[in-house]
Amino acid sequence: MAAQYKSIHPVKYYRDFLAQDVRPDGRTPDKTRTVTVNANSISTSDGSATVRIGNTTVICGIKAELGKPKADEPESGFVVPNVELPPLCSPCFRPGPPSEEAQVMTCFVAKATSGMVDLKQLGISLDNLAWVLHIDMICLDYDGCVQDACVIALSTALRTVKLPKVDYDEDTKTPTVHLNQRTSVDVKSSPVSTSFAVFDEEIILSDPTAEEESLSSARLTVVTDGKSIFSVHKPGGSTLTEVQLQDCISIAKERANLVNEMIRVAVGSVKR
Amino acid sequence: MSPSTSSEAVEDQKLRPFFCELDVLSRPDGSAIVSQGDTTAIAGVYGPIEAKPNKTYIEKAAIEAIYRPKSGLPCVPDRMSESTLQHTFEAAILTTAHPRTLITISIQEMQDSGGLLACAINAGCLAIMNSGLPMRFLVAAVNCMIHENGDIILDPDEKQLKESCAVMTFAFDNVNKNIVSSSTDGSFSETQYQEAILKCRSACDEIFQLYRDIVKKYAPSMG
Amino acid sequence: MPSDNRRIQGPEVSSPYCLFQSGNKNVDVHSGRSEVLSSRKDSRKFMEHRKIYLKTGVVSQAKGSAYVEFDNTKVICSVFDPREIPNRIEYSQHGELFCVFKFAPFSCLTRRAHQQDAQEKELSLCLKRALEPAVCRHEFPNFQVDIYVMVLENDGGSLAAAITCAGLALADAHVPMYDLVTAASLGVTGDKLLMDPVEEEESLCQNPNKENQNHGLITVALMGAHTQVTQMWQTGSMTAACVSDALTHLVQICEETYPIAQRCLVKSVVDTISKKAQ
Repeated sequence: MAAQYKSIHPVKYYRDFLAQDVRPDGRTPDKTRTVTVNANSISTSDGSATVRIGNTTVICGIKAELGKPKADEPESGFVVPNVELPPLCSPCFRPGPPSEEAQVMTCFVAKATSGMVDLKQLGISLDNLAWVLHIDMICLDYDGCVQDACVIALSTALRTVKLPKVDYDEDTKTPTVHLNQRTSVDVKSSPVSTSFAVFDEEIILSDPTAEEESLSSARLTVVTDGKSIFSVHKPGGSTLTEVQLQDCISIAKERANLVNEMIRVAVGSVKR
Repeated sequence: MSPSTSSEAVEDQKLRPFFCELDVLSRPDGSAIVSQGDTTAIAGVYGPIEAKPNKTYIEKAAIEAIYRPKSGLPCVPDRMSESTLQHTFEAAILTTAHPRTLITISIQEMQDSGGLLACAINAGCLAIMNSGLPMRFLVAAVNCMIHENGDIILDPDEKQLKESCAVMTFAFDNVNKNIVSSSTDGSFSETQYQEAILKCRSACDEIFQLYRDIVKKYAPSMG
Repeated sequence: MPSDNRRIQGPEVSSPYCLFQSGNKNVDVHSGRSEVLSSRKDSRKFMEHRKIYLKTGVVSQAKGSAYVEFDNTKVICSVFDPREIPNRIEYSQHGELFCVFKFAPFSCLTRRAHQQDAQEKELSLCLKRALEPAVCRHEFPNFQVDIYVMVLENDGGSLAAAITCAGLALADAHVPMYDLVTAASLGVTGDKLLMDPVEEEESLCQNPNKENQNHGLITVALMGAHTQVTQMWQTGSMTAACVSDALTHLVQICEETYPIAQRCLVKSVVDTISKKAQ
């Protein structure tokens, strides 16, 4: 019976639940889902992580390559993050070039994590050679808050990257790579993203599922490391008061501390 | 161009001079050109028009925002502004008045000297007002930055932005002065964020007053 | 090359660092060959398949899904509800399978492009051919079932893993089928047969050797209950006798993996029932 009611009038179905201060999946409105972090799961990549938030799954793999630095920043390397929402993860997507949503997510993740790596440490030889970190985040299960999972996965994967030592011969213009001398990348900050959905213009749901996201009247994402804030992104939708924003920020801060501890443990447990 | 200088400047900080002209384009149903300092954007609204089958909603109009950079094709960061613009206007327009239709808001960047997103939101809102579409509320966007020394500077220009450690753009509605959109870049503390909201909120009154002046000026000619 | 403005772009040219490594480690293919001829790196027997891990119902948003691991080879697949075949005017008697096979950018030793390349298109077709005979396509005329496969890590035998994975995902999605499909691959170099070769062995088998002996790869997909081969894909060159010999071995291995897949499906059914009973 419930299943039919839900498909006929999903909004009312949610309203009935929320009137009792509980969500259909048993959470209270301000409760976030369980996060699991697995570091270095892909051996063909130079750094990788798998992150699950409830059902949402994102896998992030980093491939390091060598390239020529930009002429205007000769001492810097590159970080190239891209989020992919393949048709595999949800029936909403079709094969082909990245959808608008994937592009917005790519840009959001790139902005939120832009301060993590000092691009200068990726330079090898001035104006000749630098590291290019291709960071690909692939969503395997789209059940809401994919951008949060992407940020966590990127942050974890970046900490597992081990770059080999490279000598650059200026005369012959050839690099030599020493595969057995590896150093990790210095990661400066640890942003964690937490998303919220506004239901019926007043109730704020933390860490919404895909269904809750689609029924919501507004969405909000807060990126923080527990102390400073890196982004408060609210692209339109129904309005929020400052008090509501403040509540969201404090929930996000609390969760950031928890998730960062988890990332630390996951990265620490990696053997190599 | 109609110069409208601000009468109630917020304390020591002023917004850059705001110029606006309505009905600048002949083809769209409503259009506006807005310049704040040197930052200029032009907006055109088409609609309500027939929607494509995959973009039709039975209970409301679909809103589409198209953002065009000054040169070249729109790339990934432009998509993000596009999505912010789309969702902001979707909240502002009374979409239930025109179900099964499409409303397109097209915004062309003319020049970016800081605060382009805010300028684009303001231009879009004025263009929608010009088109006569029913709206829930008006939106006004204000850009601000946090200086390296911790000061909050309203509506900074290109030169000031070079010394910024964070840039934020807020859009407010004119009914309750609540936050419609928030878009930030760089890192900052929670108190700085709250302070920035307060400053921008008081500045947005000025923009709403400017809206009023503009409409007053154009009302007789639009009969 | 036209630049892709839907993704964040790196520099125009970048190359994998493995090309510039110090010391020559993997230059002489033939020394590698003699090594393989004596024993395999992971101390498997020549006719031994790697350990298999199977799981269904991994993607919550899909109708059916499966995840397969052959040690380091990791493949995920999801199957969606049938939908009308788009852009088709005439009526088609049989339903269609729409397969997309994709390597994740970080899944191989060198980085893969985001767009589907020629090899991936070929493998998509192989996958489709391997699954088609097993599906009761007359049950959903004029509709297509979307099957998306993503290789997360490739350490050889990704096509075989993909076929097994997609077969399980189809069953998990309740698509009517005659039988389950399982697959295995085999590498041939000289007179040696290597069951389920890893990436390194695969590239070894693909290189023709000095004496121009038998070399190549064979992947076979099999419907276990009927002992019918649905698809056989062979590259390289080898004698007919060698092919038939390889086929016997492959069929035997496929039959061995069949009960594992069956058990996995039974487990998922039992789990669903016990969940409902709660």
